[in-house]
Amino acid sequence: MSVSKIPSGMRYYIGPEAQLRRWIEDQTMSIFQGWSYEEIITPSVDYYSLFEQGMGQAEARTAFRFTDNDGHLLSLRPDVTSSIARVAATMLARAPRPLRFCYASPVFRQQLQSRAEWRRENTQLGCELIGSNGSTSDVEVLLVAAEILSRVGLADESIITLSHAGIFDGLFNEAGLDQDSRLEIQGLLNSMDETGLKNFFTQRQIATDVAESILLLLQLSGREEVLIQARQSISNSRSLAALDALQKRWTVIHSLGLENRFSLDLADVSGLQYYTGMIFKIYIAGAGYRVGRGGRYDGLTSKFGVEEPAVGFVLSLDALTEVLSRHNRNLVMDSSECTSVKGADLKTTFREALARRARQDQIRIEVPE
Amino acid sequence: MITVAIAKGRMQEDAIALLAKAGVELHPAALASRRLAVEDSSGNYRFIFVKPMDVPVYVEHGIADCGFVGRDVILETQADVLIPLDLGIARCQLVVAAIEKDVLNRSLGMLRIATKYTHLASLHFGALGIPVEIISLSGSVELAPVLGLADAIVDLTETGRTLKENGLSVVDVISESTGRFVVNRASYQLKAEAMSSLTESIERVLEVASK
Repeated sequence: MSVSKIPSGMRYYIGPEAQLRRWIEDQTMSIFQGWSYEEIITPSVDYYSLFEQGMGQAEARTAFRFTDNDGHLLSLRPDVTSSIARVAATMLARAPRPLRFCYASPVFRQQLQSRAEWRRENTQLGCELIGSNGSTSDVEVLLVAAEILSRVGLADESIITLSHAGIFDGLFNEAGLDQDSRLEIQGLLNSMDETGLKNFFTQRQIATDVAESILLLLQLSGREEVLIQARQSISNSRSLAALDALQKRWTVIHSLGLENRFSLDLADVSGLQYYTGMIFKIYIAGAGYRVGRGGRYDGLTSKFGVEEPAVGFVLSLDALTEVLSRHNRNLVMDSSECTSVKGADLKTTFREALARRARQDQIRIEVPE
Repeated sequence: MITVAIAKGRMQEDAIALLAKAGVELHPAALASRRLAVEDSSGNYRFIFVKPMDVPVYVEHGIADCGFVGRDVILETQADVLIPLDLGIARCQLVVAAIEKDVLNRSLGMLRIATKYTHLASLHFGALGIPVEIISLSGSVELAPVLGLADAIVDLTETGRTLKENGLSVVDVISESTGRFVVNRASYQLKAEAMSSLTESIERVLEVASK
C-alpha cells in the first residue's frame, strides 16, 4: 500500500483553513462559556458497551472497535453525549443541578451516514444541560445555537427547524405500532416519502384518521400557522400536549424577534427513538445535509441508573469550516505583520529574534534560511 | 435560482413535459443544444442533465436543489434525500431474469448475478438466503446469461421486450419503480418558499392527470 494515501473519510487542515477552524471552535466555546457551560473532555477510547447503552445498538454499530488487553470491547468514541450521561449519573450523581457541559471533541464513525456527510472523523461542538426540565432550558439551548450561527456570520444563511417527539409518538400509539413498525415509519417520514407512507398504512391497516393526520403533518412546515393547522387534525392527548409545548417555545422565540432564524417543520424528526421532547435540526446554506441536531432526551441518564431530564445539541465543526472557508469572508484577521530577522551569524540572528519576540508578542517574525 | 437535476434517458422527456405543465418552460433551442446545463425562459431555474445514478448524488450534496429520478436509483444509491412526490412516469419493474425459468430452484450453491443494481441485488438475495456472486456491469446486462458470464441478471424492465429478444424471461419481480421528485434536505428548509411552490405546481399537474 502506498504511504501517500490517507484513509477515506479523513482529511488534513492546513494553514488558513486550520486557522479558520480553530477560530470557529474558539468562538463557539466562548459562547458556551458565556452561558455558563463548563468544558468537559471525555476519553477518546471507551468501552463499546457505553455507546451501546447511550446511543442504542444501531447507532453504536458505526463505531471503530477493537479489544482491550483483558478482552473487553473498546471503541473510538462515536459520540460524546453517552460519556457525559454516564459521568452525570455516576461520578457527579450528587453534584448540584443543573449541570451544564460543553465540548469540542472529535468523534469517529465507520459508516458513511450518506455521501454528502462523508467524514469518518468529525469534530462535534456540543453542549448538554442536565437536570433541568421544561421550556426554560429548551429555549436556552436554542438561543445558544442561534448565537453561535450569528457569531460565525451565518445568521442569514441558516435555519433551525423545530419539532417535538411527542407529536408522532402520540400518533404512533394511536395507530398501535410496535417497535419494528415505528422504525420503518420513521425512515419513511425522514425522507418525506408520501407514497411509501401510503403503502405502509394500507399494509398495516392503519386507521384512516391517524393515517391522514400523519400525511398532513408531513406537509406542514413554516411558522406559527403550522401549529394551528396541526391541532385541527390531531385528537390524542400526547400529541396535543407536544403541540402545546412547541407553541410555548415558539411564543418566546417570536417575542424575542427571532422567528426568522427558526422554522417549524413537524416532520423533520430523525432520531425519534432517542428524543423525548423538543427536537431541532440545523441547516446552513452551502451544506446539503443537517450540520447540527439536538433536542430533549429525558431517558438518557436513566440508562446509567439515574432518571433526570436532559437537553443538548451538536454542531459539526468540520461542516462549518468547510462552508465558511468556501465563503472566503476573511473572518479571521491575521493582523500581525511579518518581520524577517537576519543577522551576521547565527548568534546575532537569534539574539535579534528573541529580542523581538520578547518586545512584541503580536509581531510575527520569520528566520530565513 | 433553483437547480434541477434530470436523469438522462427514459425519464427525460416525461420530466420536461411535466415541468412545462407546471409552468417551468425550457426553451426548445436550449433543449436541442448539447449543453448539459441550461436555464429556463424565466431565468429562475437551471437544469442539469446527468446519468440517472448521478441524480441522487447531485441532490444529496445540494449542488442540485431537486431532481427527477427513478425509485430504483434512489434505493440503489441509498441517497439521503427527500422524496415528496411520486410522478407516476417511467413505470417499470426491477426483476430477476434468466434463460432457465427454474434457475432459483436448482439449489445452486452459488448463483452468479450480473447487474447494474449491485446493492439491491445483494439485499434481495440476502433476504432469500441465496448465496450470490454479484457481477457489476454498467450496460447491456442481458448479454451476461447468454454468454455464460452469469446465471441470471437483475435489471429494470418496462415491457420485457429486450429480455425476450435476448432469450431471457422474468423469474422474479423484486420491486416496482416509478419516477420520483427528490429534494435536497437543506434546500427544502433554506429555500422553503421556492421549493414548496415548485412542489405544489407539480403536484397540481399530477392531480389533473390522475382525474
